[in-house]
Amino acid sequence: MVGIRSSHAFAAALTGLLVFSAFHSAKAQEVEHNSKEAAKGAPAPSVTQEELTNAAKDSKQFLHTNGNYDQTRFYPGKQVNTGNVSKLRPAWIFQMDVKESLETTPIVVGNVMYVTTSFDHVYALNAKTGEQYWHYKHKMGPITTYCCGPNNRGVAVYGDKVYLATLDAKLVALDAKTGSLVWQTDIADPLDGYSETMAPTAVNGKIIIGTNGGEYGIRGFVRAYDANTGKLVWNFDTIPENSVGVWATKDATGKDLHRDIDAEKAQFAKTGDPYKTLGGGVWQNPAVDLKLNRIFFVVGNPSPDLDGSLRPGDNLYTDSLVSVDLDTGKYVCHFQYIPHDVWDLDAVSPPILVDVKDKDGKTVPGVIHGGKTGNVYVNDRKDCSLIRFSDPMVDQSGMWTLPTPEGSKMFPGANGGVEWSPMAANPKLALAYAVNLHQPMTYQVQSSPYPDGKLWLGGAFKVIPTEVSFGNVTAVNYDTGKIKWQVKTPEPMMGGALATAGDLVFTGEANGWFRAYNAESGKILWSFQCGAGVNAPPAAYALDGKEYIVVGAGGNTQIDFKRGNNIIAFTLN
Amino acid sequence: MRYGKIFAGLFMAAALPGANSAVADSIDDKAQVCAGCHGEKGIPQEKTTPIIWGQNEGYILVELRDFKSGARKNDIMSGIVADLSKKDMLDLAAHFAGLKWPDLQQASPPRPVMKQALTVIGSIGCTSCHLDQYQGNSTTPRLAGQQSEYLQKTMTDFRDRSRANNPGMSDLMNAAQPADLGPIAQYLASLTVVGGNQ
Repeated sequence: MVGIRSSHAFAAALTGLLVFSAFHSAKAQEVEHNSKEAAKGAPAPSVTQEELTNAAKDSKQFLHTNGNYDQTRFYPGKQVNTGNVSKLRPAWIFQMDVKESLETTPIVVGNVMYVTTSFDHVYALNAKTGEQYWHYKHKMGPITTYCCGPNNRGVAVYGDKVYLATLDAKLVALDAKTGSLVWQTDIADPLDGYSETMAPTAVNGKIIIGTNGGEYGIRGFVRAYDANTGKLVWNFDTIPENSVGVWATKDATGKDLHRDIDAEKAQFAKTGDPYKTLGGGVWQNPAVDLKLNRIFFVVGNPSPDLDGSLRPGDNLYTDSLVSVDLDTGKYVCHFQYIPHDVWDLDAVSPPILVDVKDKDGKTVPGVIHGGKTGNVYVNDRKDCSLIRFSDPMVDQSGMWTLPTPEGSKMFPGANGGVEWSPMAANPKLALAYAVNLHQPMTYQVQSSPYPDGKLWLGGAFKVIPTEVSFGNVTAVNYDTGKIKWQVKTPEPMMGGALATAGDLVFTGEANGWFRAYNAESGKILWSFQCGAGVNAPPAAYALDGKEYIVVGAGGNTQIDFKRGNNIIAFTLN
Repeated sequence: MRYGKIFAGLFMAAALPGANSAVADSIDDKAQVCAGCHGEKGIPQEKTTPIIWGQNEGYILVELRDFKSGARKNDIMSGIVADLSKKDMLDLAAHFAGLKWPDLQQASPPRPVMKQALTVIGSIGCTSCHLDQYQGNSTTPRLAGQQSEYLQKTMTDFRDRSRANNPGMSDLMNAAQPADLGPIAQYLASLTVVGGNQ
């Protein structure tokens, strides 16, 4: 999960010195644009399960963080298309009170839009005008523990409530009309390294949530809570008590992991199964298959990130695709991409459910995932088995060189590949759109015992300042594994993509450019400079016959890109 | 001189009613003990003693806890925290977090020193946890405007693991070179506290 860079740090710091004194609000990142506005009730319609189930066909609303339960991020509207996207203009810009890392996906219900900020503020806005209905500011507890920015990726909506998970590891239900607190539940103890940044998922009366903490020696989980009461319905530990697995020596693509199995077995005999502090966070939404009545999610890295000596075995189910029963949370199947990962190249980007060609060319229900390795993995939904993996989207030179105390170089760097950024898919073209990073890093290992909920990397990832970093937008054919097109970007990419029936792909860059690409060719058809890093996934909706594309521009903590506080909605003009 | 002040602080701790007993003091009394070293107005007596006025609440709490458990070792602090309850620690953390951070107006280092600092900071990624303007949050401490000598000593202590209560920080400091620590300390010390109780 961790990884870092900053070629901007010097310039940003010099500018920062000049502007620091301009802020006098309670927290450094708070800028108070809207605090004097009186709260107005939002005309928030109740959200039915039927609407949530059929979201993939709904071009008026954007009801899920990744568009629909399949998480395709494929918007069915085509009013904005390859022929007219050049006329896309800002409809409105809303400035929020927190100027810090922005990873929210706007959720649109009727004409109400919900967006969140770092430090867990929620806004309800008029999706047509950008005017504020209400603003909820979570009362943060004294303890939060997180590594990679005070992020929040958005809300879930269900019935007459809006659901938020917070940095101090609480699940919160708000009244959709007023923004007032309905209930609040403690998910886990933040002092032990647990925190929440993901948007919850609402389905069949349950609110599903995972946890962060893979850098702090947590034991990860996915849980379902009752949407009405906040009571726990089920819990799935992402780390089973027997986490050893099969002592695999190769990754999903057949590359040798260079494991010293004898040394691991000796360690296992001495210290036993490391499951209690093995990490395995889940901090992106699960995909929901209502026909199979199962969810599919990916599990993050083992703790400590770089030091495998303390955690013998395959470290199940870290770095894996996992499927569990929606009603009970009972295990159904898993597939581990990287057994015994010591590079933090875990499974993060949310899985997508699409029909895929199997090895015999037969169409089967599939699940695809963009790995931090830089491969797109295509799995069979039935048993989680691997069908194929794509050509590498990034340089993988030296994979899997083991970390050393002095630091060893290997590609990709610890941010991937593909980081948390959700991919989008266009089922008509059988293409998945991923945004990539190329960040040269060294991997340095240092062993230290479990530090009681403190940062536990087992070493350090270090950006090589003399080497160039950049990014890509890549279209991958998931039926063949071949790259259809790839466009290089000047900065590493983090934020995510949206595909549309107008044959477009939208994604933003750290330097502030938000762009539309031709879905088939990768040609850039429209660009807009947002003034801060566009490191959030776009969404789309329609009101009164007009389509809107909306995105947050607020930069990113983890890769230190220019901060801002804007939500920008675009429409044809 | 140095030890005289520390002993004065300890003397105050011992002399305060109930400091070493189960009798609950007011939070102000307890905080007064801290002033012996950390300063009556938030400016520490020694350059290697940290500013705690306006420091982040979660960080103060965790450090008090670690001094008490022995995870962080300091002869003076271990004596000070020995009789503190969890509630005392919570109260003290909230008390000091609510005070105004003193602006020591430490000078910006020359540009080449700043550049050296920022190259290392960018490579290791300090802002990932300490955030954009080094103000930290909750359990991550504020670094901007902290005493330069304290910052350098702390980074050195993390690096040689004599400060052992955050191995992740030790690992990260080992990714830097000893010669980088002075420039980083000078740079961070010269920054200004944003927001809070200034």
